[in-house]
Amino acid sequence: MAAIDAPAAARAPREVNRQARTAWGLTAPALALMFLILLVPVVVAGILSFTNYSLGNTGFDWVGFKNYDRLFSRSTYEKMFIATFTYVAVVVPVSVALGLGAALLVNSLGRIGDIYKTIFFLPVMATLLAMAIVWEFMLHPTIGVINQTLELSCGTFLEVVPFLANGCADGFPLWLGDRDYAIWVLCFIGIWQGFGFNMVLYLAGLTAVHRELYHAAEMDGAKSAWERFRLVTWPALGPTTVFVVTISCIRAFQVFDTVEAFWPQGGGPNKSTYVMMFAIFEKGVQQNLIGIGSAITMLFLVFVMFLTLIQRWLVERKVHY
Amino acid sequence: MAGLSISSVTKRFGDTEVLKGVTLDVADAEFVSLVGPSGCGKSTLLRIIAGLEDPTSGEIAIDGKGVTGMRAAARNLSMVFQSYALYPHLTVAENIAVPLRMRSLTAAQRLPLIGPFLPGAKEQRAEIASAVQDAADMLEISALLDRKPGQLSGGQRQRVALGRALVREPAAFLLDEPLSNLDAKLRVQTRAEIAQLHRRLNATFIYVTHDQVEAMTMSDRIAVMMGGEILQCDAPSVIYEDPSDIRVAEFIGSPKINILPVELANAEMTLFGRVLGHAAEVAQAGIYQLGLRPEALKLMQAEPVMTGTVAHMENLGSEVYAQVALADQTARVTLRAAPTERHKLHLGAEVGLGFDLNDGLIFDADGKRRRRLEVAVMREREVA
Repeated sequence: MAAIDAPAAARAPREVNRQARTAWGLTAPALALMFLILLVPVVVAGILSFTNYSLGNTGFDWVGFKNYDRLFSRSTYEKMFIATFTYVAVVVPVSVALGLGAALLVNSLGRIGDIYKTIFFLPVMATLLAMAIVWEFMLHPTIGVINQTLELSCGTFLEVVPFLANGCADGFPLWLGDRDYAIWVLCFIGIWQGFGFNMVLYLAGLTAVHRELYHAAEMDGAKSAWERFRLVTWPALGPTTVFVVTISCIRAFQVFDTVEAFWPQGGGPNKSTYVMMFAIFEKGVQQNLIGIGSAITMLFLVFVMFLTLIQRWLVERKVHY
Repeated sequence: MAGLSISSVTKRFGDTEVLKGVTLDVADAEFVSLVGPSGCGKSTLLRIIAGLEDPTSGEIAIDGKGVTGMRAAARNLSMVFQSYALYPHLTVAENIAVPLRMRSLTAAQRLPLIGPFLPGAKEQRAEIASAVQDAADMLEISALLDRKPGQLSGGQRQRVALGRALVREPAAFLLDEPLSNLDAKLRVQTRAEIAQLHRRLNATFIYVTHDQVEAMTMSDRIAVMMGGEILQCDAPSVIYEDPSDIRVAEFIGSPKINILPVELANAEMTLFGRVLGHAAEVAQAGIYQLGLRPEALKLMQAEPVMTGTVAHMENLGSEVYAQVALADQTARVTLRAAPTERHKLHLGAEVGLGFDLNDGLIFDADGKRRRRLEVAVMREREVA
């Protein structure tokens, strides 16, 4: 036995080595790409965020945490955080809830559901930049359809609504030019544009809900639609919800093109819509302040990383049955 | 517990008629199986009883009260689904508790966080917990109460589904092929357990299966369904020994009953030209079908009724099944032999077969049983 075993034992490690080499060889292209196009740029941005580098300069000075210090002390950046978090805090819950509601409604319809699916998904497919121009026309303070429609209510019983009464007396809001309304208009367009995508994700999640569970719920005495939703649909959509919320958060943090289309001069009236992505663009690209741009980028990455970690934790702990 | 009555229930899906007027009365505490091949409408009938489907016409009554049009949740029936349909996010204990929570707690008391602190909720919850524990003890799944369905084996899930059904006292239990996802060994074991459970709960059970063995072993009565109708509903022994329809005879019994053509002419009944008996004036001349169970056929050396060669053998240990290709005929018959006769049977062996006509069942060309003709043929034989 020993005589047979010895060569076999000697051969085994060599075999394992060979397999390991092949495995590394096959993984190498992916690893190389990941390093080159993901990790290296992040590291470079991280390094640059501690410098005052500008594109075209031959050298740079280390400035330590000065860029980060500025982020947390200047009022411009305070406005940036307020705008960004307002946008995320409004757009994510509303677009997720609307997406779920639309998915449930579309799912309960037969063939007509497909029409609604297409209608709700249209804004997702459309170029946001082009759509922003259309919205800009519609929201124009004097010639836009929105204010013109609102003006129709003047002189009618609808004037009991304070908003309309004030509008008729003092003129309707400037919308995009009004620092009190700009961020909410931005949120509205973000929701309008994004909830169709959430709806499609939820529709996919709904197909995975076992039909027989609804029958079991009915037999168990779940009489109202709400009880069936609580008992069957909502738990079954748990993994989808985690994914949808994460994706919506990341997309909300990334909002840029509407801001750029509406206020190319920088961040809306009184910087009320000065969101992070726009700040990165303005500092890093328009003003060529690579250092501060990199610092905002690093902060942005931290937020997104944080969200992703929460998602991983939730998926593994809470919603994986 | 209550009896059930189903009268002339029909169901159409578009142009397809799934149920063609089914009438069935189930007594209190009775175990009735609905058995039939796939697509015969048995599951649809069960779902109509449950209230998950509406009948196109006809009435359902539970305990004498009409429930047609009443929603499933209001009918007080329990159902075990083929897929078990356990809630994947709830533990075993929570799964079993769902029917009680839905019925005995108010919507407010069911709310998370504040629900348990509302007046009355504590007592209700304690009652539910003890009912769940009782059900779990009865099914021997107390050790699994904290697990999620995803961590259970098929047999354990099946027990949890049973537990969820029996935790409250429903008017009747409806079981939709509950054993079909289990492996063969577990199926035999669970079969006995469900039958025991029925005796213990003394409740009305309606059991849907395509497996005739399950139906034969567990039921008080079997309703054999085919093509959307109940062909016969009787005790298992009657269904097997005295079927009214050739389709019932063919469906129940494994291996399948042998069907041989017999001819009645000039008051003589002949099988492959051999006279079996005489039947005077009770039936029209013509072709009839003779059904013979595999155990009715006997190996016979002297004066066999039929001869043939063994074409296939299945040795099950306690008995041997042999398929015999009849000489000069395209038909094959299956014969059950005792192990002691095994030496006579080997592939290609020439065998002679005989039978006692008393064991035969005679059907007409439409498949209806002809009991008077059977009696006449046998009486004539005895006289002769």
